[in-house]
Parts: sequence; structure tokens; C-alpha cells
Amino acid sequence: MEFNAALFHEFAEALNSENGYRLAKTLSPDIPNERLRAIFRSQNAHSIKNALKRGLQGNAALTLDHQTVQGWVEIYAAYWNATGVILTARESDNDSSKSSNLVWTKVYEAWTELLNALLRGYQTFGFEAFTIPCLYVVCKHLRAFAIQADEERNRNAPFDNGATAFQDDFDPETNKHQKLEDCARVLSRVFMVCQTDRAPLEESRKWGSYYIANLLLKTYFKLNSASLSKNILNSLRAGGRDMPDFSLFPKSQQVTFKYHEGVLAFLEENYIQAEECLTEAWNLCHKNAMKNKELILTYLIPCHLIKSHTLPTEKLLEPFPRLQKLFLPLCRCIKRGELHKFDLALQEGEDEFVKRRIYLTLERGRDIALRNLLRKVFIARGFEEAKEGEKPVRRTRVPVAEFAAAISLGSQENIDNDEVECLLANMIYKNHMKGYISRQHGIVVLSKSGAFPGTGV
Amino acid sequence: MMPTWPTAPPSGAQPSTAYTASYSAPAYTTVPVRQSFGQSYSTPQPSHPAAHTYGPSHSTPPSAANNATNVNSPSPAAQDQAKTKIDWPDSVRRYVQRAFIPANLDSSVTRSEMEVKLKETITQANEQGVMYTLDWDKMPLPQQMIREERARALLPLNSKPQIPVAAQAAATKKRKSWDLTDSATPDSSSATPPWRTGAGRLEDRVTFTTDRRLASAELPKTSKFNRADKRQKRHEGEYTTFREDTPPPGEGPVVGTCQDLEKRYLRLTAAPKPSQVRPPHILRQTLELLKKRWKKDQNYSYICDQFKSMRQDLTVQRVRDDFTVEVYEIHARIALEKGDLGEYNQCQSQLKGLYRLGLEGKANEFKAYRILYYIHTANRTELNNALADLTAAEKKDKAIKHALDVRSALALGNYHRFFQLYNDTPNMGAYLMDMFVGRERLAALCNICKAYKPDVPLRFVTEELYFESDVEAAQFILDHDGQELLEDRNGTIVFLTGKAGSRFEGARAKAFSRVDIKGQI
Repeated sequence: MEFNAALFHEFAEALNSENGYRLAKTLSPDIPNERLRAIFRSQNAHSIKNALKRGLQGNAALTLDHQTVQGWVEIYAAYWNATGVILTARESDNDSSKSSNLVWTKVYEAWTELLNALLRGYQTFGFEAFTIPCLYVVCKHLRAFAIQADEERNRNAPFDNGATAFQDDFDPETNKHQKLEDCARVLSRVFMVCQTDRAPLEESRKWGSYYIANLLLKTYFKLNSASLSKNILNSLRAGGRDMPDFSLFPKSQQVTFKYHEGVLAFLEENYIQAEECLTEAWNLCHKNAMKNKELILTYLIPCHLIKSHTLPTEKLLEPFPRLQKLFLPLCRCIKRGELHKFDLALQEGEDEFVKRRIYLTLERGRDIALRNLLRKVFIARGFEEAKEGEKPVRRTRVPVAEFAAAISLGSQENIDNDEVECLLANMIYKNHMKGYISRQHGIVVLSKSGAFPGTGV
Repeated sequence: MMPTWPTAPPSGAQPSTAYTASYSAPAYTTVPVRQSFGQSYSTPQPSHPAAHTYGPSHSTPPSAANNATNVNSPSPAAQDQAKTKIDWPDSVRRYVQRAFIPANLDSSVTRSEMEVKLKETITQANEQGVMYTLDWDKMPLPQQMIREERARALLPLNSKPQIPVAAQAAATKKRKSWDLTDSATPDSSSATPPWRTGAGRLEDRVTFTTDRRLASAELPKTSKFNRADKRQKRHEGEYTTFREDTPPPGEGPVVGTCQDLEKRYLRLTAAPKPSQVRPPHILRQTLELLKKRWKKDQNYSYICDQFKSMRQDLTVQRVRDDFTVEVYEIHARIALEKGDLGEYNQCQSQLKGLYRLGLEGKANEFKAYRILYYIHTANRTELNNALADLTAAEKKDKAIKHALDVRSALALGNYHRFFQLYNDTPNMGAYLMDMFVGRERLAALCNICKAYKPDVPLRFVTEELYFESDVEAAQFILDHDGQELLEDRNGTIVFLTGKAGSRFEGARAKAFSRVDIKGQI
């Protein structure tokens, strides 16, 4: 929207109807070049503030106090300034010959100015809470610009390191995410501005907490500093009493938050909590949000594997070709107890698993594969000679050598009895198998009632 | 070389506020650019001479002293112009505008200085009757002229009249918030509070923060404090000249000139002095000396100290080559041998970066250590990252494969294989494995106690858990309150696993919960 009557009209309309999302649209950089150019050309640096002041104040339908107008003038002036910088950046992206002078860094800086102006609106000019979607839009793009600025800088000077003079050692990672780290700091300030608002709930900025928290968590994930995320979760938890009920926030924010909370628990190997959060996210997720559902399942499936030893059905995975490729080969091997093939499948998908941080969890699926193999041995041994009129009882004394044969066959490796015993001891220790090993006799004595808990035998 | 004059650059902000407030009849009020700080008109302030805002330490053009009068009562010529309502040519307007676009602003030149200069230039042109004929688009901007004048004045002292970029940025940043009525801007945090402006503040003496000094100079100054301010400026001037040989950070690596082989490590609090930094060819000799010393004396605290100072010298000179790798590798190995994991970890993270630069060294050896180290610290995230970084070829390397196998054996609880691997560790990995072998033994013992009934020979424990002898195995069990579990049966000692219950679980949980390393967060 050009910076003339059109903007002022839209501004007044949005403010009058208390429509924060409509208002936020006037601050979006996510518009085609021509429109950006139209905005930028509709004003000039010398007269913009006065023009804005007149325009924003002059609307008869609005009665804004001097301070509020002042705040918005600063914001739109900063926005206008940013449009110019963004235009230059976009143009130089298309023209590869000029792309060396860090244009996106300038965009990031200009955009930070806008965010600062906006924050001042809340901190000193008393902006109303319904305008927080403006914060959403500005913060969301700040993160995007930070990433772009970092990429651009790393492309141009991958190892330029200016800030080393006072350190004993240099850190090659320092500069890699310079702007994104800065962005995380800025966002956490925004988060606090939302979180610490003491106005009554109906008009509190606390309603913005989860959106900003989600952005922050996303940023921390990208920065690989999951530990910082803890602070956000703690802060939200600590403010629990004064916060609006979680279920009152938009569902989209709930899903994203629960997903992040779940993945964090997953990374800490707290599979109980991870399963809980991810299940919640799964249930709340919009049925057509396939990308999100895929992300949730990526962590929920390994959770189930570890916790309840259940595998996804083919029907569940049907709409997700990527997940099929990721999980199905592994699942088949686990089900059939094929150790060697399991190892191969794990190796096959290793890069992808490691990238998604699920390798170390899936690896433990081997235990389930092994249990299934041992269970086969147990079943193959059949029953004791049945006495008349009684239920047949399985033969529960299994020579270690039989298990050893099965394991050696299954893993296609020659494994000595001591190692087999070690594996069996593990099964028993982890409650995959009930019974004990008698080293003296070289046999495993399995429980008569449920030798393999949870599997029906 | 730090220029002496920017120590007290007159700021953009407050001084000019005072100036604009008292400026009653400017010669060129119609210049549009001034509207942007129209705010300041509304708050009249007591007018005081603008001259005091120029720090005495910067040698302003000779006319500076007269500026005060110029400012408060515009020169007769200017007044005449204002009266006669000269219709300024567009070229002149453009020139004035150009002078004030933010990109052209110079933080070392105040607005009032610029305005005086502009006035001078334009008046002169008008008087000489060349106003319409001059090529104003090619005319140097007032700030340029002022800079040149200063440079000329400073030439014998300082040949480089450039203000550091950081200071410039700080000043421009500051300027952006000057017309806000409220000072609670995020930027304001960088300004120095008024109670910290006393002369000779500690940080002015010990640190080298240009922008902080700038900030202090930007504070509004009333004539009451004028003399104290001048005194402070003078002091600051002294200090900067005194420290002339220390380059500001970020201007490029130091080139060392120190010729001593040995140097004690001292954490830097200011930019290093070249005279105390050893250049690479000296450091090479140092390394040879240290190697010999280490073989002879095995004095770790001495060696560690010396290596740290070597690393420091390399870093400040930005030396990143094969030699750097060698230094870090040797230090890492020595630290490993002595179990100094904090120091080892520092070296390791440096090496990671150095290898990534494409430097050769013993990358695989240290990548293997890193995996073992993360196993020890139970750092799942980093372990995952380390795995992600490995290439297919690296995974086949003997040492790396060993480390990966160790990891996998532990993940699956395969203690049998783990202890086999422990017994056959390449390079110095065993030093790292020693760190966590105890807790793995406890874990395995828990396993055995739950799985085997009614008992196992002690020898079995000795062999499975790779104790040196039955005695050592027995001692381990005794150390963890297992007295009653050992029984002598016809000359062979048996371990009563059936009676152990969850006796070792507590110790196991404790061993896994605490990974305490010096130097590690």
C-alpha cells in the first residue's frame, strides 16, 4: 500500500475495527517488488515523518493521542526505510555481479530498527494489545532476514573472523549464525515484553507469548542450542497461573508449541513426555497440514517404538511417502526379527536419521528385533508333553546354544556364547524377556506366564 | 594508530538541540531537511555558547572559537540574505540537502559546525557573485571541508584522520533516537549514565572502548561542568596518545616481535602489544623446546601454561596453518594423558575448526577422540552432530570405526563387546575410555545381577568386565557394598547374583548422572 491516503485509510479502518491482523498487513515486506517500489517512491526521507504525522492524525474517524501517533509515525517511517533497503537487496540478488556487499545484512539492520520502533510503541506509547499481530509479522520476517543475512555473509567470506582479538582461541562457529543469534536475543526481548505485561488478561500482551515463543524455539533449534529453549518453557510454565489457558490460544500456535516441546523432550530422551506432547500436537493438527503431520510423526513413531514397542501401520504412513521410505524398511525387519537386515536398513538410512536426530533412538529398535527373534525360538520349541485335560505348557528351558544359533543366523555374524549371554542378560534387564540365565547349566529358564511381556506369549 | 581528536567528538544530538533552540533567524529555514528534527524547536532550552561542545582536544579550524557568536547571531551577511529573501537556486538547495543525507553525515562533525561551514560557503559564493555559476553538485560537502581542515591542522600529529567504523556506527545509531520524546529506546542502554562521567573513569584507563568514550562525550554539558569536562578531555587525550601503539581491535592481526622462547600465559584484557607476541618462527622453536621439556620434566602445570600462551600468540596473529594444528594436537594429547579434560576440550573444539579449514593434521585420530569424549560426557546432541559430520570414508578409518563401535555397543547395552573394544583401543583413546569404564562396569554388573541366577564364578565377572585380576574384580564389588555377595566355594569364589537384588542400581544411577568436567559448561 502506498504511503498516502490509501495507507491512512487502511490504518484507520484497522484500528477502528480493532483488527490487528489487518493492521499487521500494512507492515508486511512479503509483497511483490512493484508494490514495494510504489511504497518507497510515494515518500522521501525528508518529508516522510511529517506526512505520516499529518496522515495518521488527520483522519477524523480516529482519535489518537499525540503519543500513539508519534509511535506509529516512527514505525511506518522505519518500515518505509526498510522497503528501500529490501528493494536494493532483491535487485542485487537478481544481479549476481553486485551481490558481494552484504545487502541482506543491511535489510536485517533496517528491519531491526522497525522492530525497535514497534517495541517502543508497546513499552512507552501504550499500544493496545489487539495490535500484537504487527509484532508477529515483524518478528517472523526478522528471523527470515537474519537467516538470509547469515547465508549471504557465509557465502562471501566463510571464515572471516573479526572478533578474535581478545580471545585466547578463535571459534570458527562464532560468526556463522551471527545475525540469527542476534535475532534470538531480540526475539527473547520481545517475548519478555509480551510475557511480563501485567494488564488485565483481556487486553494483555500475554496473548502474544506463544506465537513469539514458537518463533524463538524455532530459532534455537536452528542454532542448535536446544538448552536455551528450556528457559522459554520454564518462563511459560512459571507464568502459568497468570497466563490465559493454553487451550484458548489459536490451535495453530498450540500445535507448533506442543511439537517443539515434544521434540525437546525427545532430544533429552524423555520419551514419556515426548510422546504426550507429540500426541497432543498430532490430535490438534489440522487434517490437511500434511507437512506438519509428517514432522510430528517423524518423532512420534520412534517414541512409540521405544515406549510401547509399537510400529506404524502401512495405512498410517500411506499419505507420507517420505516417512514410508524412512521407516518402513526398518519396521519390517523389526517385525520379523531380522537382525542383519535391520543393521543394513539402519545403515542405509543413517544420514537421514542422523540429520533428523532420530538415529540414536531408532538404533534401539534393534532390541525389539532381537526380542522378536528370541520369541520365535521360544515358540518353535513348542510345548511340553501335555497332561490330560490341562492346558499345554510351553517348554521354558531353552539352551543358550539355541539362542546363539538363532542370533548368529539372524545377524550373519559368528557370535560366541558369552556375547549371546550378554545380549540375553540385556533382554532380561530391560524386561523384554522374563526369566534368568543359569550359567552353570548353560540354559535360560523363561517364565511360564508371559516369557515375552506384551507379546501374547 | 588511534587519532587523537575523536576522543571528544561533538555529538550530533544534544549540543545541536541547544543550538537549534537558540537559533532565532536562520538564513535558510526553508531547507526541507531540517524538518526532520523539528521536535527540538518545541522545547526551548537556555541558550549557551555552542563552542563548549567542541572538545578542546580536537583542533577545530581557527574559526571555531568564533562560531559561538556566529551561531547566536547570524553573521551580518547571512542576515542580509535572509532579509533580501534571496531565491536560492536549486543547485544550492540540492547541495544543502546532499550535505544532510544520513549516508553523508560524519559523526565527527557536528551539525552546528556543518551549518556554519555551509553558511560560510554559500555566503562567500553569493558575495563573490558565483552562486549561480558554481557547479554545486561537485562542490565538496561541508563535512569534507571540515575534515580536510582538521587533517591539515593535525598533520604533524596524525596522518590518518579517520574515525573507526565502530565509533561511527555508534554515533549514527545514537542519532536516530534523538528526536524521540522518551529515552527508553533499546539503544539508550548503550549510553553512559550521567553518574559515570567523572574524569578519569577506570574503564577509560584500562579498556579501549572508543564508543563508550564517545557516549560520555555525547552527554549534555552545562557550563557549570565545563571546566571539569575540559579537564577530562585533556586526560583522555593524554591517555590516547600514551597508548598510541595499540591498534583498535578488528584492524587486522598483530605481528609479533617478541624474541623470547618462553612466556607465561596471561589472559588478555586489552589488545596485545606486538612486543609481547612471538612471531611464528619463534613459536616453532618454542614448540621444540617444550617437547624436550615435557619428555624430561613431565611438569604439566608448566607445560599447560606455556601451551596456552603459545595458542594465544597464534590466535592474536591469526596464524592458522599446519603448525597451529600441530600445537593444538600436541597440547590435546598431553592434556588427555594428564586427564585434563577441560583443556583437552578447548583444544579439540579448536581442532575441529582447523580441520574444517582444510588443514591436514591427524584429523581422524582426533575425530575418534571426540566421539569418545561425547560418550563420556553423555552429550547426545553433540554426539549426533559428530555423527552427522562424518563422511563414509572416515567411518572406515580404524580409530573412528572403533569409537563408533564403542558407541553402538554401549547404546545396545552390549557390555561384552564394549570391554573387548576397551581392550583394543587405538592411539590414546584408552585415556578417554578410562574415564567412563567404571560406570559401564557398574551398568554391566547390574545387568548380570538381574539376569543370572543363582550365581556366577567371580572369574566370569573378571573376564566379562576386563578386570586385571580376580582381586581387582572382588575389590570393585566390595567397593560398592557387595561384601555378602562373594562366597568361597571349594576354592573358587562365586558371586551370588541371585541375592544382589538392586544393590548396584543406586551407584549406577549416580555414576551416570554426574559428568563433571572442569572447563565444561
